Amino acid sequence: MLEFRNVTVTLGGARILRDVDFTVKQSETIALVGANGAGKTTLLRSVMGFTQMSGEILFDGRELSEVPPPQRPGLGIGYAAEDRRLFSAFTVEENVIMPGQVAGFSAMELRHSLDRIYRILPELKEMANQPAGSVSGGQGKMAALGRALMIGARLIMLDEPFQGVAPALAKRYAEALRTLRDNDREVTLIITESNPDLLRKFADRALVIERGEVCEGSFDGGADTA
Amino acid sequence: MTLQLLALAIFDGVAYAALVFLVAVGLTLTFGVLKVLNIAHGSFYAMGAYITASIGGAIFAAGFSPWLAFPLMLIAGALVGIVVGGPVEKLLLSRIYELEDVLQILVTFAVFLILEDVQRLIWGGQPFFESSALQVLGTVDVFDITYTVYQLILLPMVAISVLVSLRLFLRRTLMGKLILAVTEDREAATSVGINAERVYFVTFVIGASLAAFGGALASATTSVLPGMGADMIVLSFAVVATAGLGRVEGAAVAALLIGLGRSFAVYLWPEIEVLVPYLIMLFVLLIRPEGLFGTTHPRKI
Repeated sequence: MLEFRNVTVTLGGARILRDVDFTVKQSETIALVGANGAGKTTLLRSVMGFTQMSGEILFDGRELSEVPPPQRPGLGIGYAAEDRRLFSAFTVEENVIMPGQVAGFSAMELRHSLDRIYRILPELKEMANQPAGSVSGGQGKMAALGRALMIGARLIMLDEPFQGVAPALAKRYAEALRTLRDNDREVTLIITESNPDLLRKFADRALVIERGEVCEGSFDGGADTA
Repeated sequence: MTLQLLALAIFDGVAYAALVFLVAVGLTLTFGVLKVLNIAHGSFYAMGAYITASIGGAIFAAGFSPWLAFPLMLIAGALVGIVVGGPVEKLLLSRIYELEDVLQILVTFAVFLILEDVQRLIWGGQPFFESSALQVLGTVDVFDITYTVYQLILLPMVAISVLVSLRLFLRRTLMGKLILAVTEDREAATSVGINAERVYFVTFVIGASLAAFGGALASATTSVLPGMGADMIVLSFAVVATAGLGRVEGAAVAALLIGLGRSFAVYLWPEIEVLVPYLIMLFVLLIRPEGLFGTTHPRKI
């Protein structure tokens, strides 16, 4: 459902991604593993249209360069950036429903999606009316996941969701991802992580990214050379 | 200073602050979203004034009711915002958002120069004066001072209702929320599906309309002549910088502070009247470099 073809991204003279070529099948959970600076974030940002890139990215067979960045979430792509990027002017719930409002969901659809999100992330309901600026880093990441779930019916991309999150919250976050997996077998998940151990339990496949190049990997250390 | 003079200084200051606020709030809103300091903002103010004074003069001379001045002001504001502001954003500014601040300021300065000449081309160099709107509302006596209803009541009321409706618009409507979201983080806004380009356009048109509406209201109280746009933009910069860039409510407080400061100077120490707004700005920025209501953001590299 997501296909990278010779994707190269150059930023300020440095090649961040080199001829990246791989395919993600529908309903797969992919762990995108790599050290800091390897190009994980750039790869996800390319899907959202935030980079100047050459090559092609196909989503459900469609060339993404033909879809302007603001219309990409409407294809069913939810993205939670690494730094949580909630809008502090609003409450947590306002943040979560925003992608749905922008996409023109009816009040009933919004309610329905919100109920589903609260089933997966019950703690969001407790902080629904808190200002988004006042929640902790880990809670913010939960809210950002909720926001990605609102629109990400086909693909959800999570950038370093466990980074800097207290262990208890990280465990809850992983549980929520598992609940999501159990409830929704169609959705595709791409999760970046510098520590692959956290994803071992529920990722179908690991892709290793090293110095801008992507190859199939295993969870037991680096690229799968076997 | 007698009680009467004190009251007079306050009335003058509030009336003036109301006009300055309308222009400054448009400037700060535009800056908050587009992150471009728009020098041409003063031209929208001047054009709103010119349109109101010239068309008003013509239709009142033809015998139409002076009350028409009020709808005319609203129309002039919207017209300048859409017909002049719209193309400026769409054709010009939309191409320079990625450029350095200095280049952006130079481009808006060029727009300012062009619009100044357009004004001379259309309205010439002679001043217009059209105060039917001021006269039709009459005067009111407060503390033995006779003051115009237009300046004492209408202008502050308009400023307050613009402030309140702008706040409601930003907090309660979807478009307003989109504006706040783009203001805070354009990339995050795009990743939830917000079309930032459209938000930029709408914001710019609203900001330009507010400036033009301010000019339309001001035209009843003063002569409309070349250079008024430049005067106003410098003053609104002072207000916006004092308030903290991008702060809507702050602009109201700063406009009041600067309006009152100026009018008190007129009665107490007229020689420094022109200087007072900048002294206030200097004083505030020395103590709080981010402005009265501004917050510092660590710059991310």
